[in-house]
Amino acid sequence: MTGSLSRVGAWRLQRRATSSQWARVIFTVIAVLLGLLVAGVVIQLTGHPAVVMARRAVQVTFGTSRGIEEAAVLATPLLLTGLGVALGLRMGLWNVGVEGQLFMGAWAATGVGLFVRGPEPLLLTMMFVAAALAGALWVLIPALARAQWNISEILTTLLLNFVAIYWVTYFTMGPWRDTVGAVLTATFKVPYTLPRLVGPLTIGILIAIFIAILLSFALRHTRWGYEISIIGGNRRAAEFAGMPVTRHILTTLLLSGGVAGIAGAIEIAGTMHRLSSTISNGYGYLGIVVCALGNASPVPMIVIAYLLASLLNAGIVLQTQGLSVNAMLAVNGLILIFAAVGEMASQYQIVRKEPEEISPVPSSHQEFPAASEGKARLRHGVDNPAPGEDRVPTDE
Amino acid sequence: MEALATTVIGSAIGAGAAIVFAAMGELLAEHTGVMNIGLEGVMGMGAVIGIIAVNGYHTNAYVALLAAIVVGLILGVIYSTATVLIRANQVLCGLGLSFLGTGLSRVMGSSFAGSPASDRFMPVKIPLLGDIPIIGPALFNQNILVYAAYLILPPLITYVLYRTRHGLSIRAVGENPAAADACGIAVQRLRFLYTSLGSGFGAAGGAYLTLAYTPAWTESVVAGRGWIAIALVIFGDWKPLFVILGAVLFGGVTSLGFVSQARGWPIRSSWLAMFPYLATILLMLLPRLFRPRTRQQKLSGAPAALGKGYYREEG
Repeated sequence: MTGSLSRVGAWRLQRRATSSQWARVIFTVIAVLLGLLVAGVVIQLTGHPAVVMARRAVQVTFGTSRGIEEAAVLATPLLLTGLGVALGLRMGLWNVGVEGQLFMGAWAATGVGLFVRGPEPLLLTMMFVAAALAGALWVLIPALARAQWNISEILTTLLLNFVAIYWVTYFTMGPWRDTVGAVLTATFKVPYTLPRLVGPLTIGILIAIFIAILLSFALRHTRWGYEISIIGGNRRAAEFAGMPVTRHILTTLLLSGGVAGIAGAIEIAGTMHRLSSTISNGYGYLGIVVCALGNASPVPMIVIAYLLASLLNAGIVLQTQGLSVNAMLAVNGLILIFAAVGEMASQYQIVRKEPEEISPVPSSHQEFPAASEGKARLRHGVDNPAPGEDRVPTDE
Repeated sequence: MEALATTVIGSAIGAGAAIVFAAMGELLAEHTGVMNIGLEGVMGMGAVIGIIAVNGYHTNAYVALLAAIVVGLILGVIYSTATVLIRANQVLCGLGLSFLGTGLSRVMGSSFAGSPASDRFMPVKIPLLGDIPIIGPALFNQNILVYAAYLILPPLITYVLYRTRHGLSIRAVGENPAAADACGIAVQRLRFLYTSLGSGFGAAGGAYLTLAYTPAWTESVVAGRGWIAIALVIFGDWKPLFVILGAVLFGGVTSLGFVSQARGWPIRSSWLAMFPYLATILLMLLPRLFRPRTRQQKLSGAPAALGKGYYREEG
């Protein structure tokens, strides 16, 4: 059957033909717990009483209604940016520019909100549309570069993140600055707000969940969804089948940017009401974690976004006890590494040792889990053309 | 006017040096087929270790640099274990490493923010060359790390990669690991070694920022240079000389920003800050724009096996 074997005592590890979904979930959970454990140990070593802090943090985030509401508020941008990343990842594309697209979406929403007058529902809609357009425009150049010249979208989208932050900084410190009403450097207050649900929670979370369900449906039951997963699995095959690959790369990435832009609009209209350079606390980067842990599946990502938001809120609680946003960033990085390793681990199973068999001709390419329902989706990013170009096969 | 030119050129070279370190490291790793996009985090850690060593433990700058390199090597080993040995997804691990390094470095550096390095690398003027008008002071009155970055590292790497048997093995591993393996080349070992080493170089670049360039720690001391280094490796088509060129160009854009600030040119600082990143994107686009399509498909310098884990299929 399949290849790569290595011995572990009387047992050995064997690659599965298709990766098991359950194994994936279990390993993801283990990865997160391991990451938290390591972080906890380090925190303990630096003198903070980790267990006490953890207990208190859990108590506040899950035990109080305020904690739950605030976690939901935080989950909204995480889910949306995660969806943005997931859309790209379905095609094997890494849109890590969701942070910048969120910023630009927030900027556009602020612009509309500050300078256009009208009835609130209309204005809110306009803000959202503007935000989606801004987010999509922000990914346009990287998308074109990737579609036409196969230039690495990881780097182009990522570099634009920095540009977006400076762009927003210019407006918050310059033309739109509110020197009277705002405590920290921020723009004037945008007068339109999303309807409230409970406490600090607005219908933003519902919008996000709706988009997730919509995308899940579209990815599974439309031709577009089918085609992009084929492209993600094997671009050449898709091309031979006549699928419009270049067009799909463009539209999918634009959609991805638009979704991330909407996250920015919700932050403005629902949570912050003013644009500032802290409109995002690394939500875009956390969205990558959400996407990775959720294996780019929209509906599971809802839950994961909520859990991650709870974790972050626990971190903010911890902030009052001395830890910081940056510590959470580090912990998230650790979790990501463990998750990547865990994803690999989920592809192996332990089998009892069998007598040696003569092997067929070894190939230089690893075998793919055959067109599984996208379970090993994240690995597609690995095997697509590197940030270079398509190599014309020379010897095969 | 001469003074301005000297300042701009000198500043460009100084600004680019950090990127040269990181990019050379990334170049080595990518030639063996491993993409380390955690370089940003590694640079951050290198930078913070450097400042902690001189300001917290009062060592001299050389020891601080060494400490930073060691930390970089350790991070590289961690990354290589995940990526080369376990063959986990390189993009995910790289992103994770960049978050980890960036976050951790900021946590560690918070108490050292703003205070200048108590021991730093000072400019050393090369006797005759430093007196050449205009370019002399710019090129040959830099600190020793800059000389190492531009004058020692690239020629050394070029020589090893393209003129030695070992270098051939390195490149073979990146192009076709199965064929290299069949020739008896230790694929995994080379990948592990050079990815870790590359990470060490990255940390050196970070330490350069806090020990020579700024020379102090702030939360935004790295400011995306790790990412830019990776982009420049692509821009330079995986050839050291072109990567250097890109680094100097980037440095030039950065230094133009500083110079214009100092001279009071009427451009907002936010706009100026954008330019380096926009310029880097442009640098990534340019080579493709000017090459006709068929040619570019066949002659890219990218190692063919970049980004893929290697499995020796035993059946």
